[in-house]
Amino acid sequence: MRPLVVISIAAFVVAMLAMFLVKHEVRGLERELASLELDRQRHVEAIRVLRSEWSYLTRPARIADLAARHLSLEPVQATQVKWLPRSPSRPTLLLTPTAAELER
Amino acid sequence: MKDLAVRCWWRPHHAPVPGGEAERELPPSLERARGRLMLTGVVFLLCFGALVVRTLDVAVIGAPVGTTVTGAGGALNPAARADIVDRNGVLLASNLPTHALYVEPGKIMDRDAAVAALGDLFPDLDLRRVTTLVDSDRKTALLRHNLTPEQAHAINRLGDPGLWLERREQRFYPQGRLFAHAVGFTDVDNRGLAGIEKAVGEELRRRAGSDGGPLALSLDIRVQHALADALHETMTAHRARGAAGIVMDVQNGEVLALVSLPAFDPKAPDRDGTEARFNRATHGTYELGSTFKPFTVALALDRGIAGLEDSYDATRPLRASRYLIRDHRPENRWLTVPEILIHSSNVAAARLAMQVGAERQRAFFDALGMFERAPLEAPERGRPIAPRRWGAIATMTVGFGHGLAVTPLHLIASYAALVNGGVTVTPTLLRRGAGASLERRRVISAETSAIMRMLLYAVVAEGTGGKAAVPGYLVGGKTGTAEKAIGGKYKRDSMITNFVGVFPIDRPRYAVLTLFDEPKGNEETFGFATAGWTAAPTAGAVIERIAPFLGIPAAIGPGESEAEPPIVWRDGDGGQHASL
Repeated sequence: MRPLVVISIAAFVVAMLAMFLVKHEVRGLERELASLELDRQRHVEAIRVLRSEWSYLTRPARIADLAARHLSLEPVQATQVKWLPRSPSRPTLLLTPTAAELER
Repeated sequence: MKDLAVRCWWRPHHAPVPGGEAERELPPSLERARGRLMLTGVVFLLCFGALVVRTLDVAVIGAPVGTTVTGAGGALNPAARADIVDRNGVLLASNLPTHALYVEPGKIMDRDAAVAALGDLFPDLDLRRVTTLVDSDRKTALLRHNLTPEQAHAINRLGDPGLWLERREQRFYPQGRLFAHAVGFTDVDNRGLAGIEKAVGEELRRRAGSDGGPLALSLDIRVQHALADALHETMTAHRARGAAGIVMDVQNGEVLALVSLPAFDPKAPDRDGTEARFNRATHGTYELGSTFKPFTVALALDRGIAGLEDSYDATRPLRASRYLIRDHRPENRWLTVPEILIHSSNVAAARLAMQVGAERQRAFFDALGMFERAPLEAPERGRPIAPRRWGAIATMTVGFGHGLAVTPLHLIASYAALVNGGVTVTPTLLRRGAGASLERRRVISAETSAIMRMLLYAVVAEGTGGKAAVPGYLVGGKTGTAEKAIGGKYKRDSMITNFVGVFPIDRPRYAVLTLFDEPKGNEETFGFATAGWTAAPTAGAVIERIAPFLGIPAAIGPGESEAEPPIVWRDGDGGQHASL
């Protein structure tokens, strides 16, 4: 009888302590989670703003203007590009429909 | 007492019990106490059982898979809209967080200090209006949209309970005017009012709610910029009222660029006036002139009504009741079918159209969708204006592009069908996946389509479209110059000039349309403002710029000799014509 009571009380105390500790830990974790979530949202927002800014700063008109001022490059001419492999008989195909077209 | 303790309710009845028979002899008061004790035990047991079951339920069975923690900002926001990006992922429209400032007159602590602070923060604010607002008995009133972060911070620091901020989402268009007509814009509550923003507003909202990522358009910012730039240059040089341009994939109908000039600022759409808001590319309907002749020729060739070697009388203007059909630059001779396009003869085209007949012509334009609004993800789509009576006169005039007013979008989509092997395409501003099933109807045979490619090539190589030629690329196309009908009369000096170019014409991938509203001649063009001098060179400039980065192989490379003449045909006198 007596040992049972002692064991019960001991178990009770241990359980209480354990529960208190776990609860405390959970509360801490929850706080950490909330702050991480807040952080995440802040970052998501920052990324959104930065993406907009990047897109704004890389407007083609602005890039063209900057390139004209600071670079000595010109648009590529067709004759500067070599394409491999080249089909030798390209232009003569004008009059005949392609196989894919006939299938449609 | 000991007796009671050992005689617990769970003790088996057959076990030997100390005290033996004495059990039954318990006094009634103890008997009652035992009954109560048992009842209490059972109740407690039930309670603990319920707790155990519930704990297991929460911790083991119903444990959430992965955490779903939603913070304050993650809640569904009615103003949330997905981003819009171009086909390569470049941002075209996004939401930026801002604040809106509300005033609650009943809670204002220090009226004069608050008004003074507001005056400092917003120099353009009408302070008298604010004062009357603060003195009024309204509950709350919106004072200001789109505060900058600094302004929001200053309001918070002020700490007046009568002034409070609400988080808002503001639509932002980093590309400014470049995509004004195609993408459109929203109102202050982020409801789409024009363009893609209106046409697929529901989809944008749905995506934002379900984290579906940005909406990808078929537009390509590089192509859009090249087109807008070239159109703007010509428009300025020729003092045109406006311009429009479209670049379309002729195989699947994807629109790579859609420009209408003058453009407006999507941030303040009202500031640039209604003319700038008007989308000439998809909303404006115009009689487009000679760019219609290829339809007449294609129909005649496809139905076997005329052959390439047949020739038509263009020796003198053609009288049709009270109209006189004449050529812009008359050849005054009989013209073969290819020559009708090369020299752009109204007279010969009218004769060809008469031979085709009204019924077939009407059915053909119907099949091309020229009597309906063109399908596109845009609310601004013009309804074509067709002749009320499709008689002989209408047949002749429509044969060379007068009497039937359509949008530039109709024209380029129909050209796509002419050159892509003869099937219709459905224009779209949304990016189509590689495996997208397309609804297509055949309008001409693949053979006729191949002939049309050759003829359009001849127009650029030898005819009125010469200034659209691009060194190294095979370009085909057709010019169109039409006098504008103003008040029922055609006006000589106000013209619509347009050009549709296709490249590479031997393996058609893209079509480019350019259109100018009332261009005027200048010194450089010897006073001419016709399509061959305005629209064609602009399209050529666009093709020259976009072809390399669209991955179109050039027909000739460095150090190579020019290609063999690709096409040969006979003219009316039996002489041979060769191109290139």
